[in-house]
Amino acid sequence: MKKYFPWFGLLARLILGGVLITAGYLKAFNPSKAKMAVRAYEVLPIALANILGVLLPWVELGVGFLLILGVATRFTARFTALLMFVFIIAIGQAWARGLSIDCGCFGGGGQVDPSQTKYLPEIGRDIAFILISYFLIRYPTSRFALEKEDQ
Amino acid sequence: MATKPGGDKITRNIVIGMVAFVVAIGAIFSYTSSKSTNGVAIPSIVSKAEGYGVVFNGDLKGVPTVDLWEDFQCPICGEFETLNGAYMQSLISQKKAKVVFHLLSFLGPESIQAANAAACAADEDKFLAFHAYLYAHQSKTENSGLWSAAGLLEAGKGAGLTSQAFTSCVKDSKYGDWVNNVAADGGAKNVNQTPTVFVNGTEINRNTDYFNAAAFKKVIEG
Repeated sequence: MKKYFPWFGLLARLILGGVLITAGYLKAFNPSKAKMAVRAYEVLPIALANILGVLLPWVELGVGFLLILGVATRFTARFTALLMFVFIIAIGQAWARGLSIDCGCFGGGGQVDPSQTKYLPEIGRDIAFILISYFLIRYPTSRFALEKEDQ
Repeated sequence: MATKPGGDKITRNIVIGMVAFVVAIGAIFSYTSSKSTNGVAIPSIVSKAEGYGVVFNGDLKGVPTVDLWEDFQCPICGEFETLNGAYMQSLISQKKAKVVFHLLSFLGPESIQAANAAACAADEDKFLAFHAYLYAHQSKTENSGLWSAAGLLEAGKGAGLTSQAFTSCVKDSKYGDWVNNVAADGGAKNVNQTPTVFVNGTEINRNTDYFNAAAFKKVIEG
């Protein structure tokens, strides 16, 4: 079984990298909407939320590309897990406080009708991504990685 | 598998460096392009002090101020216009309130073009007619091509705008930077949804006041 791990690693990199690049791409070119999505969580001061809204999509794109290329895999996997953890906290607090927002994960975002919130699936999805990241953190050596040995 | 010790390290650092560079450039570009810029072209009816909004009855004293943030492609804004549009126009024509329209553009390129065209219409004192026309002829889907430059010129004809000035204003996106400034101001004021209405600087009740004509009138006129 263990000899297939590098192939699983490749799959994990492609899934996480693909998700991050998609998420980043869908937000990076509509900064005013991306800012709004972050503001709608009502956690950060407005000015800070607006900066994060602009930065986050580009960070996602960068980490996504590193994952696809297979460079610094363990580090990027750790970073992805941390990012998803933060997303879960953010979505969880919105849910707990009774806000009705879209997570804005793949574009979109902002306030929505209370019947249209999808907090549970959004959190579930992020937990799945954390599990995949965890695999890469444990076994960062994978097929077709630019960097053959990850430390 | 490490054939050349150190070889991968170099690849690694080059790749990380390149990705970080592209990310930084993209983020900086994105940040500066979405920031408000000074000295942009604005129609004379627009007031920078009012968050670059389109202002009616700006010189009236002792009347309520109604701020409306909207997006020409937003279907709920269309519903809001159907219900309260005529009343808003009467507030303006009967000088009962100062009304400020903030044209947001969350929904993509055609929102930006439509907002620009509305500013072009304002140059010819036809903002309200054009505003009403756009909502009356909204597309069911976003960025369908309806509010492309050609579509907006057609819409202009529907609102009585046929001048050469209007045509070139729409085609050249004369007020494109202004649209960006309106969006930046909406962001700074934490407007996260369209339509959003402030009366005298405070948002009206989302659950009760937007889609009840009587309640909407009451919250403005008391």
